[in-house]
Formats: sequence, structure tokens, C-alpha cells
Amino acid sequence: MIVFILLVVRPVAAEDAEATRWLERMGPALNMTTYRGVFVYARGDRVHSMRIAHRFHNGMVEERLVLQDGGDGEIVRKGMNVVCVLPERGRIRLDQVIPSGPFAEAFANELVPVSRWYQAELVGEDRIAGYDVVIIALTAKDSHRYSHRLWLEQNSGLLVKSHVGEPGGKVLEHFQFTSLEITDHIPDGEFEIQTEGREITRNLEDVASGEPVERSSMDGWNLGWHPEGFVPAAAPRSGRGQAVAFSDGVAAFSVFVEPQGKVRMPIGASRIGATTVYMRELKAGSGSFLVTVVGEIPPKTARQVAESVQIGDALAQHSGGS
Amino acid sequence: MDDRLRETLSAMMDDEADELAVRRLLSHGGQDEVREQWQRWQQVRGLMHSSHSPADGVDVSVAVREVLDGRARQTGDHMVTDPKPAARWQWPAVAMVTMALLIGFGAGAGWESVDGTVGAPVAATQPVDQTTAQPVNEIALQGLDEQQWEHMSRYLLEHAQHNSVGAGRGSVGYARLVSASGSGY
Repeated sequence: MIVFILLVVRPVAAEDAEATRWLERMGPALNMTTYRGVFVYARGDRVHSMRIAHRFHNGMVEERLVLQDGGDGEIVRKGMNVVCVLPERGRIRLDQVIPSGPFAEAFANELVPVSRWYQAELVGEDRIAGYDVVIIALTAKDSHRYSHRLWLEQNSGLLVKSHVGEPGGKVLEHFQFTSLEITDHIPDGEFEIQTEGREITRNLEDVASGEPVERSSMDGWNLGWHPEGFVPAAAPRSGRGQAVAFSDGVAAFSVFVEPQGKVRMPIGASRIGATTVYMRELKAGSGSFLVTVVGEIPPKTARQVAESVQIGDALAQHSGGS
Repeated sequence: MDDRLRETLSAMMDDEADELAVRRLLSHGGQDEVREQWQRWQQVRGLMHSSHSPADGVDVSVAVREVLDGRARQTGDHMVTDPKPAARWQWPAVAMVTMALLIGFGAGAGWESVDGTVGAPVAATQPVDQTTAQPVNEIALQGLDEQQWEHMSRYLLEHAQHNSVGAGRGSVGYARLVSASGSGY
């Protein structure tokens, strides 16, 4: 039986092999490559561009990102230390914007069998921001997730462009370097904060090396269903400790379960590019909860996840009593 | 239009096209081609954002030349002695228009056009149960009041944080984070 399965699986695996090899390079390349450039990101009707300098120096990732539009702001990271200076304007408080979680490494190490949920294919070559790239198509094998297209620089494997969208259809999210320089050395000076403003510093170490993922947050509630292949992922603690993130190695979604607050939210799905926010109200015991699913997943998937949330007795009673 | 000119257009988007390059773009033999490219990108952008394209039939080159000339008069001396700052002149008005050109370009060149194999294997073969068959109730973000938007953007942010992390995508994660925190609404 096992032999039979191997025989059946092998030809497909061989076709995917090259694409998979590229995908394996992508994670390390994001950290280990030294580069500077400007990238643009668009989803829905929002477009942002940022300037980035990134290096791997003394065994530590260092990077500086500077907002290119909508006011001054920058993020400087040295290893697990992150300092943000962000514009005060806008409706979001500064401290909410700080990346408070482990960065790419935490995930890159996880061996999620991407090829089970996506058909990975090397579909061509191109040139982006002056560099030769290979194009990898990750086509979703079911309707629970979006398809992705990745442009990886040929020598380093660095991700220089990506699309997220419906299979064979509309592109919902764009990411692309518009200028890029992959180099051996970037001087220290390019990793210093230069914007004046309120600085917020945070150390990621505590969060990153925290407790096992399973215990991080699903206190008092559980998911009755989630799309196959999504596993609980190392997520930073949310303010109220009720969020949990899932990833299938390519896409991710987060589930929040909170007692209903003062603000009444509409029930249903909102879409910003490839990102879906699905909200629903859930009554349990004498309490009422707001269930929110946010992720780069189709609205129907988000709804199905949200509708599968069950509140445990303990949380229901606790909420009712408070 | 060669890659260098294309790069100039993209640099314009980043507010850092150097003046010589822009002049080169404007003196490019195929002005029609440049204009067409510009309009094409703009149209794609318009489609993406489902709005009318402001670039229809607009020739920006005249305005650009005026800006350049005005600028050149003001800073002419300065440029000679200190070429570096002069090379990074600001160009906010045009930058606003050019903002999404490259995105538009990406939309035109990428997803759909590669080959026929993209759509084929995706067929959702899974049994569709009743809950998934119903259409999802869509909430327009524009319809949210300020409090509701703030509430929702907090979730967007937190998810972006999980995600920056998440898919192991580095910069994409940051971008999602900034996009979620943005002042776009």
C-alpha cells in the first residue's frame, strides 16, 4: 500500500521539486540577504511604499524601514529589538502599530508541507527592479484559500514581488520592489533612527520564546472547524489574550473572541484586498461575544471559521458574571 | 520604451527620480509611447480601484516640464555645487498620480497572462455544504462609523502582526502592518 502511494505521488513531486526548492530558499533568503530598496504594497484602495535596508550582521538581522508616504515614520529592528517612530496622525495609537511578535524566523523553521495545499509550479522567468527572477505559482488546491504568485531573485531567492488572488482570476494584493540593490555590505549608519518623534521600543525576545503555542490563547473557546492544513502558529499575545493565529505555511488568519464591547459591529465580511474581516456575534450563557476572523483567506472560509467557534462553559459564566 | 525609462517612471513614484532621468524621459522619441504607457497603467489602477481614471487623455509632460524648468531656475546654482540634494528633488503632485503606476503594471503583466495552467487545477472538488453555498453578507468599510472602523482596524493590525511573522514573508508582513495602520480612510 505504501509503495503504491509513493508511486502515485512521485511524478507530481518531481514536477514540483524545483518550485519547492525555491520556496525552501525563500525563508532563509529573507533574513540572510543584504539588500536595500523601495517596495510598494497595495490592497483594496490602499497603496503604500516603504524604503528598506536589511542585513544579516554578527548573527543578527538588522533592518530599517522608512514610510515613503503619509507622514514620517520608521521602524528599526536589531535582532529582537524593535524601535518604531510612526506618524501621530491617523486613527491608530502608536503602540498598536509596533510589531510585537516574533518575526519571520519563527515560521520559516516550521515545516509546513505547502505542496499538500498548493500546487507549486515554476512558471517562468522575468526581470524585476533590475534583477532576474523566477516566478513560482502556488495554486490553491481547494477553495478555502487564495492562490499566490511569487517572484524570487535568482541568485539569492529573495522575494521581490508577490500577488495574492483568486485562482486564475483577480489579483487582490500586490507587493513589489520598485528599486532594489542586493549587496554584500550596508554601513551601520543606514540602520540608525533618523526620524524625530516619539520612539517606542520593544523587545521581542519575551514574546518569541514564550510558552508553547497551544497554550497561548485559546482559553475558554475552541474552533469546530478550520481549513485543512492550517495549524496554530506562533502568535504574539494579543492585548486581551484571546487571539490565536493559524497558518498553512503560506497564508494566515487570526481568530479573536472577545466579550461584546460598547461598539456594535456589523455582522458579515469586509474585504481589503486579499484580507477578509468576518465578524459575528455569539451568545453563550448570559454573555455575548464578538467573534472576529481576519486573514488572507476568502470570505466564505472566514465565515465558516467564525461560525465554528464554540464558547466553553467557563468563559461563558465568567463573562456573564463580570 | 526601455527599462531605464520605465525605471524613471517608477522612480517618479518614489519621489526620487533624478532630474536628468526625467528630462531624458520627456525627450524620449516616442512620447506617444510614454504617454500610452502612463495612461495604460493609470487605467489599470483605475480598474483596480474601480474609479474613473484621471489620466484619460491627459498629457502630463507639459506640466512636468514646467515644474522642471521652474525648479531648475530656482536651484540652478545650488545644483552645480552640491549635486546630491539636487538629485533628490521632491515632486509631490506628480508622485501622487504616479503612485500606483507600477502596481497597475503588475496587474497587467502578471496573474492572468502567464499561461492556461493556472486556472485548471484549482477546481474546488470538495463537497460544498449549505453554509458555504450561501452568499456572504458583505460589509462596506465605507459604511463603518469612526468607532467601528477603529475597532476593526485594531483586529487588522493584530493580524498583521501575527502575519508579519506569519507567512515568513518579511517585507510583505511589514507592508500589511503599515497598510492596516494607515491613514487611508
